[in-house]
Amino acid sequence: MSEPAIVIQELRKSVSASFCFGPLSLSIPKGVICALIGPNGAGKTTLMNLVMGTSPADGGCARVFGCDVATATVEVKRLTALVSPEISYRAWVTVGKAIDFVSGFYPDWNPQRCTDLLRLLGLSRSERVDSLSLGGRVKLSLLLALARDVRLLLLDEPSIGLDPLARQQLYAELLAFMRDEERTVVISSHQLGELERCADYVAVVNEGQLVASGATPDLLARYTELDVLLGLDELTAHDGLHLLSRSGQRARVLWDRAEPRSCVSKANAKLQIIGERPLTLEELLVALVKSKSGIRWRPRFGAV
Amino acid sequence: MPTALSLALGPISAAVPGSLYQQIVDAVKREIGAGRLAPGSALPSFRVLAEELLVSVITVKRAYEELEREGIIYRRQGLGTFVAEAGYSRTRAGLRANAEQAITQAIDAGRKAGMSNRELLQTFRDALKSVPGHDLSHRRTG
Repeated sequence: MSEPAIVIQELRKSVSASFCFGPLSLSIPKGVICALIGPNGAGKTTLMNLVMGTSPADGGCARVFGCDVATATVEVKRLTALVSPEISYRAWVTVGKAIDFVSGFYPDWNPQRCTDLLRLLGLSRSERVDSLSLGGRVKLSLLLALARDVRLLLLDEPSIGLDPLARQQLYAELLAFMRDEERTVVISSHQLGELERCADYVAVVNEGQLVASGATPDLLARYTELDVLLGLDELTAHDGLHLLSRSGQRARVLWDRAEPRSCVSKANAKLQIIGERPLTLEELLVALVKSKSGIRWRPRFGAV
Repeated sequence: MPTALSLALGPISAAVPGSLYQQIVDAVKREIGAGRLAPGSALPSFRVLAEELLVSVITVKRAYEELEREGIIYRRQGLGTFVAEAGYSRTRAGLRANAEQAITQAIDAGRKAGMSNRELLQTFRDALKSVPGHDLSHRRTG
């Protein structure tokens, strides 16, 4: 096993009075597209900024290809590019001027690739930055990242404002970027159907914490949704089951097969399984967030 | 100019039943079993096929690993992935086993519906006539 692309250990940051990120530990292998998913405000952007080194952590550490982001700032910025609709290029007035400015910073800038990307993404150098649509601004940000020869690409909500054709183009570009096995992509998006299809690895975050992570097919095989009839005994946290909804004795539960003391494996009085079905990544995210957000079944609640 | 494998395999789509990984496994078997992908043919690398099919590298990797386990394709370090010599016969045997299993299931369903052997045979004969496609026994290739 080669060294991971990103290693995060006990990383934490107090972002605001109401939001504290971490402590979070996560390792992302080299050569993968990693989907960083979670509800709004889960800490996805904070995580990317901490990995980029654009905002300092309060504690813990993050390494990108072995470089500590707190100390090896120049090296990390040389290896990494961030794509985000938040980045504003307005100050450079036109697309061409923004390109000229940004390209000057990077020795790995590839002018031919830049020309190809302009054509591919339907951008022109003379276009005014402030007249670009949201999708257009994302495309510019994407162009400025992909025209470089980076090893780590961080994309924060890159599909916002893109039409289905442009989104498909985005994923085609990312898969083309992955031709080089040394490269890694971390991408956050709420378009989970596309991520499920194209991401090799998934990290689920909620309330600044890592909820689950792993290879996409493994994670989807680990959790299933069960349709059950509850017995008289109450479910406990040790059963490997998380209640999603309930009406009378009939309930839907999320079953984590990795839970060692799962009561599903042995026949007992707690429940009778009526049906079982796999989850899509989107359904899994919703189920994980619902099940981990402190919603606990009490008999008096009825439907949760 | 040989057909690009991605086109021969596709569409690998969420609108088709089965996981994307299983769709790739099945499509490769279909192409090999039909003789359109001959033993010894090279398959594209994980990364190239993933890019062409617009699926994750891990999906293609797992599909190739499954086909390799079944002895239908093989990998040579540094050279690439190829259709195994026994790929055609193993795929045909697998497809035949699937057909036999489907027939067994149909018999089982018929018994549950209270059908006699005579009724089952008649249903099978009618189905053979009504389902499009020809009896291939007289024009086997290769």
